[in-house]
Amino acid sequence: MLLNLFPGPRWSFRALLVALCLLPGWLSAADMGNCLLCHKYPGLSRIDQSGNMKLMFVNEEIFNKSVHSKVKCEGCHADITKIPHEPAKPVDCLAVCHIIEPTSEQKFSHKSVKTFMDESVHSKVDKEGKLKKYNEDMPTCKDCHDNPLFRPLAFVKKVRPGIADDAMGRCRVCHEKEDFIFRFYNHITTRLHKSRSPLNVAEACGKCHDDKEMVKRHGLTIMAGSSYQETFHGKAANLLDESIPDCLDCHVVKGKSVHQMYGNDDPRSSTHPNNRGAICNSVDCHPNASVQFANYQVHPVFDKEKSPFVYWFTSFFYVLTGGTLLPLMAILFLDLLRRLFPNASFKRRK
Amino acid sequence: MAKYPRIKIINGEKYFFRFDLDLRIQHIILAATVVILVLSGMPLKFSDAFWSPYLYALFGGITMAPTVHKITGAIMLLLFSYHIFWIFKVIYNDHYLPMKREGTFTKGKFAMRVLKLPMVPNLKDLRDVIDLMKYLFYYTNVRPDGDEYTWKEKFDYWAPFWGMFIIGASGLIIWNKEFFTQVIPGEFINFCLIAHSDEALLAGLFLFIWHWYNVHFSTSVFPMGTVFLTGYLSEELMCEEHYEHYVKVMKAEGYEKEILPPHGGGHAPSCSKHAPKGGPGQSPPESPSGTQSSEHLVKEGGAAV
Amino acid sequence: MKKLLTKLYILAFMALVVYFGVIIWNLTFAHIIHEYHERNAANTEHTEESLAQKKKDDKSFEQVILKSEKRTKHYLGYRVLEQQYIKGHFHHIGYDVGPDRHSYCSSCHGDMPHDSVTKDLRAFLNMHAFFIGCQTCHARPEGEMATGVYQWYSRETGEIIPSPVNDAPPGTYKAKIIPFIMENGSLVRIDTQAKIDFVEQYRLNEKELTEGQKSKSKSIIHNVVSKKPVICEECHSSENPLLPLADLGYPKRRVDSITSTEVVGMIKNYTKFYMPKMLNPGVSHPVDPVEPLLPVEPAPSVPEDENLPPVDRAEG
Repeated sequence: MLLNLFPGPRWSFRALLVALCLLPGWLSAADMGNCLLCHKYPGLSRIDQSGNMKLMFVNEEIFNKSVHSKVKCEGCHADITKIPHEPAKPVDCLAVCHIIEPTSEQKFSHKSVKTFMDESVHSKVDKEGKLKKYNEDMPTCKDCHDNPLFRPLAFVKKVRPGIADDAMGRCRVCHEKEDFIFRFYNHITTRLHKSRSPLNVAEACGKCHDDKEMVKRHGLTIMAGSSYQETFHGKAANLLDESIPDCLDCHVVKGKSVHQMYGNDDPRSSTHPNNRGAICNSVDCHPNASVQFANYQVHPVFDKEKSPFVYWFTSFFYVLTGGTLLPLMAILFLDLLRRLFPNASFKRRK
Repeated sequence: MAKYPRIKIINGEKYFFRFDLDLRIQHIILAATVVILVLSGMPLKFSDAFWSPYLYALFGGITMAPTVHKITGAIMLLLFSYHIFWIFKVIYNDHYLPMKREGTFTKGKFAMRVLKLPMVPNLKDLRDVIDLMKYLFYYTNVRPDGDEYTWKEKFDYWAPFWGMFIIGASGLIIWNKEFFTQVIPGEFINFCLIAHSDEALLAGLFLFIWHWYNVHFSTSVFPMGTVFLTGYLSEELMCEEHYEHYVKVMKAEGYEKEILPPHGGGHAPSCSKHAPKGGPGQSPPESPSGTQSSEHLVKEGGAAV
Repeated sequence: MKKLLTKLYILAFMALVVYFGVIIWNLTFAHIIHEYHERNAANTEHTEESLAQKKKDDKSFEQVILKSEKRTKHYLGYRVLEQQYIKGHFHHIGYDVGPDRHSYCSSCHGDMPHDSVTKDLRAFLNMHAFFIGCQTCHARPEGEMATGVYQWYSRETGEIIPSPVNDAPPGTYKAKIIPFIMENGSLVRIDTQAKIDFVEQYRLNEKELTEGQKSKSKSIIHNVVSKKPVICEECHSSENPLLPLADLGYPKRRVDSITSTEVVGMIKNYTKFYMPKMLNPGVSHPVDPVEPLLPVEPAPSVPEDENLPPVDRAEG
């Protein structure tokens, strides 16, 4: 669908088409409505009434490497039908958009996500369908997702991030549209591994789960993100290990999606005490590990009340380290000071 | 031991035997493994520090560095096993067998003999620490006279000795967590992780600050102590740190007349040719130059800068 | 000399030891103390006073401004995308414009100065303000002063630079267009050092000024501002645009685009449907319910979005 750019009578649809064809290469497939005419400018911004910055800039180069690159602007921003337009309304992520899902040949929609979410621990309503207390804290799409970017992998020679040109060459044998090849390659290889680095996942969850107030409000016992960082897993994630488990690897039931997460006390949950062992000794992680291996505290906190054993054990080492090194530092300091004035002393022994 | 004379004279300077080749090689391997282990382990402990990715990249990043760490750790544990074997060998050869030969062996006497080995901490070390504090607080101008091994050296030896058990055991458990948790509970891995990394931090800081200061960066030895390479210590440093032992060795080797006096310490050791009778004695720091040999002056300059 | 060096070495090493001591403290005992305070704070948090204090802290400059801007890094494998974090922002930015440290206008009005007065246009105007200096549109040098000369200045250093346009993506220049005027027979930038100094002195002395002095300063600072700013069509027009686009380094393709029928047509639509009074800025929008507080009179001496709030405050 093309936007009717110029509602005035002077501008015929045909003239517009001609104009679009003549425009240089930066006009992407998604931007059929020529929205980038304005939205390509990084300065397209304002400060709203409550003092928040609104940025209307769309970085085309990055957008074209996102999973939504084929979706037209108006596919999501459905309220905008002409240029110039009124301030855009918030996008409804569950809207039926204009992409055809190839297997069902139906129009595509994220609607199933809502069904999943309503079942999950992150739903706004409880089992009886009543709104939960503090339901405004529960995440909506954009709390976790920004526009997901492709993270292509190359496999041909070795597994590495990026695109394998040799593989693309094979696609070109049968497929003509460069745009399709690029997107298909990116889509598949992005889906074959983590769509976000473990560090980014931990950060996304940490937005709420490391928020002191929220953690307290919802009666959670630990700060999930920061305690994750205390383990080898979190530390390796900090150093950009991709194979290390992040929040989702343990908290999402295998074969399901992140939107179907359950609380630890739910028997369906992967982190329910009965199911925990199976996470750790999965074939990709610690095969042959015993069930009690899963008793490892993946969220250790240094807190006397919450985990006294960890507290006392860690404190012992703190005291040992500090108690050894600080006196030694003092001696070192005094030794240096003594060397500064080697000949001075209160009492001389003759 | 004929192989290692207790005093070697090179260009008229006396050098005192400290460590044989076996020990020196053990020390070098230990030093190398410790440095590699600390450098490849600390980026993980402080993974959110700005320097950690760079340092980690030096060891091949997250894919390679853990392997480097494990292999190096294994080498270190092998070395430690050898060292334990070496200790038993020395005790057996130098103490058990002679006692047997002389027929004086009883369990009690043997134990006493082992406890009196120069590396075992004793009451003199405590006295030395107290005397050192007096000296450091300018209360006196007399440094305690160290024996063959001073309290600092004993500390430097026994602290890593204990650390080796903690770090080694916890490291092995973390390495083979799937195996060990067949028996021990999973929570134990948490403790191993804490013990491993915190004890390593202690050991690392201890060695790189305290130990390196004492053996390399102190103004007496700056820029670098060489005893870990040559096995022999210069007379000057011997005087400063091990005076009691120095006097013993000098007497035993027949150099009684050449014993230098102890000095007041500080960065400009002031040995003079006035021969005292060992033990704490005179130290005339105000008028050193007149009595000093030119050789010593040259050496001091080298040591001080 | 040797002795001195030795003493210096000792002193340096002493400092190092103290530094090490602090590090060791922070790595050990500080954790225990921190945990103690955290735990205590968590237990006593709900007293009225502490909550009130907290609310106050939440509105402090430090919280609202200094700590509000975060940055994120997306690790894509083949590249790391680092950008400003805007809560709830869906599209990626991937580009930092950076504030204009030179313009004395934006030191009061900010880098996104266009506000509710030009409600429907403010984003467009802000977009232009990222690469067009305020004086380009808000000052109209007349008579002898007018030169028609424009140049680019760097947003970072403030210095005149060669055209950054070339093949850079539109609007990403990190430079702004500034007009030149004739002053005492020589060609100078409109934002002369004298003017910059004047504003700086005003800002420094603001608290000590009397009512008269204050208003006088404001009036002098703003006297360069013309009654009617330059409007869209003066540049977005194929016939004799105000800015010498070619001289400013715009390649022909870009000049054509800027003055193209689609841009011009869009502006026409704006003036027709959205901003019928766009040619008379400062006059309230007749159908806009947000605006009626503003006087429905001819504009005061300067466009309102430029001087209204400060003058109000100065006189009130």
